[in-house]
Amino acid sequence: MSTSLISYVNSIRDNLRLEPSSEKEVIDELQAHIEDKLQELKEAGLSEDEAANTCVSLLGSAKLVARQLYEAHSQGTWRQTLLASMPHLFFALLFALNWWRGSGWLLIMLVLVLTMAVYGWWHGKPTWLFPWLGYSLQPVVIAGLSLLYLPTGWSWLAIFLYIPLASLLLYSITVQTIKRDWLYCSLMLLPVPTIIAWFLVVEPMGKFPEYWLERIHNFAPWIGLSFLALAVTVALFIRLRQRWVKVAVLVISGLLTLIMVACYAEGGLGLLALLVLIVLMLGLVLIPALLEHWIKHGKRQPTA
Amino acid sequence: MVPRRKLIKGSTDSLLLCLISQQPMYGYQIIKELERRSRGYFKFKEGTLYPALHRLEKAGLILGKWQSLAGGRQRRYYYITNKGNSVMVAKMNQWRDFLVAMNLIIQPESI
Repeated sequence: MSTSLISYVNSIRDNLRLEPSSEKEVIDELQAHIEDKLQELKEAGLSEDEAANTCVSLLGSAKLVARQLYEAHSQGTWRQTLLASMPHLFFALLFALNWWRGSGWLLIMLVLVLTMAVYGWWHGKPTWLFPWLGYSLQPVVIAGLSLLYLPTGWSWLAIFLYIPLASLLLYSITVQTIKRDWLYCSLMLLPVPTIIAWFLVVEPMGKFPEYWLERIHNFAPWIGLSFLALAVTVALFIRLRQRWVKVAVLVISGLLTLIMVACYAEGGLGLLALLVLIVLMLGLVLIPALLEHWIKHGKRQPTA
Repeated sequence: MVPRRKLIKGSTDSLLLCLISQQPMYGYQIIKELERRSRGYFKFKEGTLYPALHRLEKAGLILGKWQSLAGGRQRRYYYITNKGNSVMVAKMNQWRDFLVAMNLIIQPESI
């Protein structure tokens, strides 16, 4: 195949952002079409290069074709929608029904989240995986936060062991997710601002753990409600076809959830903290897009 | 005046379902067949045919199956499903009603 056709097919592949099995089918089908078209054009008397250029022009804009193919495939089934919303629904139930106090339920949740995340990760990274993946990273974050309460002199543990290992794990998972589709990274990070917001609300003075438990108990129904809002957001995200609408849903839902937390926090979340969290939320939704551009641009840099 | 490509875009699903219901076809063959049977009127931007086919497949109206040819090459043939057949019949009836009504306006002497 000529350079122009290889670059056309690569451009479609880069912009498809489909599951690997669907991507392979689409690319194989396009390549079969290109082979038929090239043969027809060459039989009509065109040279190899002329035939390739004509073929590219007849196929139309690679970005447009990729976008239309993405929209044909991007709507998840109801089963995928339910699977993707489940971790948020479980966390909503955990707080709404006050199950968070039982270590048995917490252990079940942890095992379920890790199992689903590992299963999805090794089975083609389907769309439903990413909300589970987001929660599977929470133990890493919680472990980091608990290091703040280590006795004096133990901070070396954080510096030499936790920080490098946690950074490596988070970096590796983020990059792999962005390579699949940056929007899934945004979806994975969706609960982070909400969790931080509730953390700030329940732990304003560092009186661990009695004060925390009392505050969590007081706010449990509202914490449950905010996770329910995240579940609805994920369901909409999976069912919608167009990328820009998916981005809009993530941003609007992020804003509304944070405002909801601020409203129910009874002054526990100040205006400045709310603004910082909104900026963080926008960053978590949009920075993966920049990272994707950086990863792809970096990949294509010619070696000196 | 409505551009021709807009008219074609609005009738893409009907055209594809109708062709595939007559015989299983692959993408390249569909483009050639549409062009031949419409005497060049229906000319698709070739890349945009596949999103339309995949959309119909996702909706369960057609089914794509890979078939191996002599020489090791593979082609993805599309077959109409039962659901696709019902939708196609409904669309064809709609088109016939539309064409009859249009003819009544365009050729009033035939009334």
